Amino acid sequence: MNERDLKSMIEAILADMVGDKVSAAVGNPQSSTLQSTGTESVRPTGNKPVVSDGVLDDITEIDLRKQLLVEDPYDREGYLKMKEKTPARLGVGRAGPRYKTITSLRFRADHAAAQDAVFSYVDENFVKEMNLIPIHTLCIDKDQYITRPDLGRQFSEEMIATIKANTKNKAKVQIMVGDGLSSAAVEANLRDIIPAITQGLKMYGIETGNILFVKHCRVPSMDVIGDVTEAEVVCLLIGERPGLVTAESMSAYIAYKPTVGMPEARRTVISNIHSGGTPAVEAGAHIAELIKTMMDKKASGIDLKQ
Amino acid sequence: MKEELLSVGIDMGTSTTQLVLSKLHIENMASSFTVPRIVITDKEVIFRSDICFTPMLPDNRIDAQKIKVFVEEQYKKAGIKKDEIQTGAVIITGETARKENANEVLQTLSGFAGDFVVATAGPDLESIIAGKGAGAHTYSKEHSTTIVNIDIGGGTSNLALFSHADLLDTGCLDIGGRLIKVDQHTHQITYIAPKIEQLIELKGLGQKIGQRVTTVDLQPIIQEMVQLLEESVGIRPQSEFYDTIVTNKGLKLDRPIPCISFSGGVADYIYNEAPEDVFMFGDIGILLGRSIAASPLFNQMKIVRAVETIRATVVGAGSHTTEISGSTITYTEESFPLKNIPILKLAWADEVGSEQQLAKTIADKLNWFKVNKDLQRVAIAIEGKKNLSFQEVQKYARGLHAGMAELIEREYPLIIIVHHDMAKVLGQTLYALLNYEKDVVCIDSVLVDNGDYIDIGKPIANGKVLPVVIKTLVFN
Repeated sequence: MNERDLKSMIEAILADMVGDKVSAAVGNPQSSTLQSTGTESVRPTGNKPVVSDGVLDDITEIDLRKQLLVEDPYDREGYLKMKEKTPARLGVGRAGPRYKTITSLRFRADHAAAQDAVFSYVDENFVKEMNLIPIHTLCIDKDQYITRPDLGRQFSEEMIATIKANTKNKAKVQIMVGDGLSSAAVEANLRDIIPAITQGLKMYGIETGNILFVKHCRVPSMDVIGDVTEAEVVCLLIGERPGLVTAESMSAYIAYKPTVGMPEARRTVISNIHSGGTPAVEAGAHIAELIKTMMDKKASGIDLKQ
Repeated sequence: MKEELLSVGIDMGTSTTQLVLSKLHIENMASSFTVPRIVITDKEVIFRSDICFTPMLPDNRIDAQKIKVFVEEQYKKAGIKKDEIQTGAVIITGETARKENANEVLQTLSGFAGDFVVATAGPDLESIIAGKGAGAHTYSKEHSTTIVNIDIGGGTSNLALFSHADLLDTGCLDIGGRLIKVDQHTHQITYIAPKIEQLIELKGLGQKIGQRVTTVDLQPIIQEMVQLLEESVGIRPQSEFYDTIVTNKGLKLDRPIPCISFSGGVADYIYNEAPEDVFMFGDIGILLGRSIAASPLFNQMKIVRAVETIRATVVGAGSHTTEISGSTITYTEESFPLKNIPILKLAWADEVGSEQQLAKTIADKLNWFKVNKDLQRVAIAIEGKKNLSFQEVQKYARGLHAGMAELIEREYPLIIIVHHDMAKVLGQTLYALLNYEKDVVCIDSVLVDNGDYIDIGKPIANGKVLPVVIKTLVFN
């Protein structure tokens, strides 16, 4: 390569770099917003946008464990085998130093689903269909629920009267459901987990009464229910804080004679109940057995392990 | 929570009988905040017995009495009592499995060796057990690759193909070190197995019984045997004799196999130099081993050193036969162990149809298991679904309940085996349908197929799981 060639090559590279800088500046969010609003305002009014019936593919339908975005991988089969074992976003490839568009979009879609799960409410019709007794904590809305955990574990006097009126005193088991941080989890799992639990308990000769549904529910609200109903075991099914893997994960918190102010260590928890974790029906069958064990041993949480 | 299971493996092969004791380590790998997940975390061989010749009676039957004495001696040597053995398997392999009293000896011995020591036999199972004992299964997993293990014993070569920890295929060829026997001193051929005789004739090689031979004289026929092995793993086009040499089936060979390992008695002479006296065992085993080492099998494929050679099968029987059921299961009685239960695996099409179809298929297929119109115990196996609704569980349970009516009449518990994680809820649903009057054993996370048998041991890990052995019982 002679000197002239080298010079022209360097010039070309420099031109590319400078060009990049310019486009990067345009690509920065603030300036691009300005620019796009600018173009819209000059668009002739006669040119109306066309509405089509087309539907964009739902990118959250893609099974991430089967999607390998690395171009030309050394060992595709091995990579996919590894991906089978984890929901982590491995092998997403890259566009320069950044994520590919599909990866960024999927991340935002999953994040949006997680936020929706937190900020939406369990459908009232669903509560009716499942024959749940609707009650709520002292929180007045989602914002207060998020910012005041203390209120999410307390009930008003009237509410306590409602609970008493609708539950059996000193029952063997009191089952309750809480929206917690994912209403989506409640709607996704309840239809399958409740009958599995009740069927399992029936096998041990344990009957279950009315099931409570608590809006704006934090886990320790079950302690209040324990005190009010004097049930032997309280089982709370509650939506888990959603992540990017699923927004539909549910936990069961179960305690033997829970009471306000008891140590957290007295709760037994079965988490990760969702379609990609422990199936709801199987979890229900397991929970029934766990409740029976708690009654036999008169203990829960850490005490049960010893 | 950590627990240990003491396991025994006994291999009664064509030429030798041996025994190993293994420790299986069991642990709950799930966090405290989820349903338990109990798995075997480690397997270690803690005792290897002497190797004795498989004792035979004058009438060509297996001498069970002598084998019992051998087992007792080895237990004493290992310093363990029979009652301490919690699981394990006796496998009868090669020529020995074809003896008249093979089944009888196998059953007596499995009962004698320990309460939950199961009886196993069959060429496919032999291949799998040897391959796992040789470490091929683990190698395929750790190196994310595909590997074939050939266990070359006295009478047969057993092939097992593993890919990324999954068993893909098995095969068996009538090629082994003792198919031609040569007198240690006179170097006269004393025996040629029928199929090898056929091969000699076909190729016009001329070796005969009574002929005094040198290694050079034997080379042509040994070369033929090696070439058949090359054909069996797909690095040489299959010859006309290939189908004849295959015992029951060969590998399907629908993809190239990058790696190979060898086990069995002959393997020692593949990996190691030959001793001075190549006829020291009175057979062609050493020569066969050396020829394989000089063949394309050794040059064209990546050679993996087996972790066990002559003991691969017995280690496989001791360490790799016992599995653990899923950790959320149902059993309502404890009359374990349940032994030698044949499996009826339903077709997927029947499973996803209506519950009436499911019931009818079960009822129909149960007829296969009738001996003199009397129904044996049968375990019903289904695939199940990964994530099913409570309604689907009930559908499955009603279909099974109706289809198994005839089994419900029997004194045995109903045994259901599901692949996917749903056995606890399915078992509870069935138990409810049976008015809690008929016992149910419903386990999951176990893969079985038609033709398999299952043995189920006493509960372990605080009763959360059941140890199981999936096996075949095929005598030629």
